[in-house]
Amino acid sequence: MTQKPQNDPYFIDFPGRLARIQDTMAKENIDLYLGSRLRTLSWVTDAFCPWRSYIVIPAQGLPTVFTFVIDAARVADDSWLDEDHVLGYAPLGGMDQIGQIADFITENVGLKKGRIGIETGMSNYLPEGNLTHYEYESFRAALPGFELVNSHDIVDRLALIKDEGTINRFREASRIVDIGHRAVRDAISNGGWKGMTETEIAGIAALAMRKAGSVWEWSFTGGNEIACGYRTGLAGGACTPASTKELKAGEPLMVDIHAMFKLALGDHSHNYLIAPATDRQLWHAKNFVDIVALTLKTYKAGISPVSLAEQMLEFAESRGFAEYMVPGFEHGIGMLGDEWRIGMNDGPMPYWTNPEHVYRENELLICAMQYACPQENIGFRYENPILIGKDMCEPMSHFILDVEVID
Amino acid sequence: MSEKVAYLSQEWRDEVEKRFKAELSPEKMKFITTSVSYIYTGCPDGKDRCLYFKCDNGNFVEVAVEEGPPRQAEFVITGSYDLFSKLTQGIISSQRALMSGKLKVKGNMVKALKLASLADRMNKIMSRIPATY
Repeated sequence: MTQKPQNDPYFIDFPGRLARIQDTMAKENIDLYLGSRLRTLSWVTDAFCPWRSYIVIPAQGLPTVFTFVIDAARVADDSWLDEDHVLGYAPLGGMDQIGQIADFITENVGLKKGRIGIETGMSNYLPEGNLTHYEYESFRAALPGFELVNSHDIVDRLALIKDEGTINRFREASRIVDIGHRAVRDAISNGGWKGMTETEIAGIAALAMRKAGSVWEWSFTGGNEIACGYRTGLAGGACTPASTKELKAGEPLMVDIHAMFKLALGDHSHNYLIAPATDRQLWHAKNFVDIVALTLKTYKAGISPVSLAEQMLEFAESRGFAEYMVPGFEHGIGMLGDEWRIGMNDGPMPYWTNPEHVYRENELLICAMQYACPQENIGFRYENPILIGKDMCEPMSHFILDVEVID
Repeated sequence: MSEKVAYLSQEWRDEVEKRFKAELSPEKMKFITTSVSYIYTGCPDGKDRCLYFKCDNGNFVEVAVEEGPPRQAEFVITGSYDLFSKLTQGIISSQRALMSGKLKVKGNMVKALKLASLADRMNKIMSRIPATY
């Protein structure tokens, strides 16, 4: 383990992470790990790898990243790895990603045969980064004598419980998100919303968060997700890239914004009603706020996604709004690229969250809830990273839980 | 120099070294330290050859044309004699040769990018040496 520098709350022991991967590889008879998922690259390198990238982890020693040559120097600069361990691939003879990595394994690492752990599977999240069929076949052809075995669960298992530095990075990302929310509220209050579009709100939040240190409105779902009017109530609609729709009096407004700080992700959604609000709209709003409050109170170690969903839907049924609830209350979260599945790939539906997953202390997830009533053109969304504790959870965004009515 | 020398001969190597030292100062070579082996396959006599350059702080400390196992170097570039000779004569550009996949490169691509313009300067100098191919 490397020494934690004094006064660095965001310190992560990356060599320690690497050592734990290598220990697990040894136990599972994996001679070399060839990672390709964005979540793996983030978790091991501490650098954002937006281009198709791979990480070769030998049984001992430092890993080597391969990324598109135009970005390799920047990745090396951001990462804890030096430039000799972040190499660029390019469309040149011997320098393409398959040929270069295969040569690296056989010549630089010196392996002539063995078991290579790869990352494959499926995801509903576009940038997951599993090895493609073409890549798999090409590596198989370029590396005769090697067995390619699916090993992504090594990183998944090790990344599940968050360390102090990761948790603090998430806290900071959420603090930044709260600044974005305050900027939006300031901008739309007292009639400021008039003539404003969803895209402008996305930009106001983005500017405030960038000023506060966010490096990206990270979500691949369109950055800051803003919806107003009927778009808030789209059935099951938990994805609303901002559009040019203008805000209008008497309509709801959903502000779901994202910040990234040292690859940790802020993700919080706040909701408004633009005055005048009807009694019916306020009834919907109260339903939503109450179920979010109850959900946050319920999250703790020992519960599971399905047990929580059963409790919350029972509450919604008792209050007469179950039909408006999307029956899911979470999505996974980790360093950039780890955005969807909760826990391990060990549920009844491969590569989806195991509904019986039992939460443990220091797991992080997004408490994510969607309330949608399409027939009344109204809906609300709540998202907030939460840290699972023994008897409670810690919501990381501290922005007020309310559906605010603004004039 | 008006007399032609045979490409990859000892006389040609001597001329390359002389011109590099005269025309490529350490400043022009950005004080780099590196080594490159160009492996020529299928030379006219049927043999393979290696053209080796070593640069230390921008000074050319070794230029060699050799037969036998190629020298270890920071960058190893393998291609046919025909292709390399066209490159040296300026008939095709290094960019086209590299992007066609007909040359195989080994070494750190990021460092190679930094050195690409220097390699072009070296090629231009070699192209001006009167030679028979």
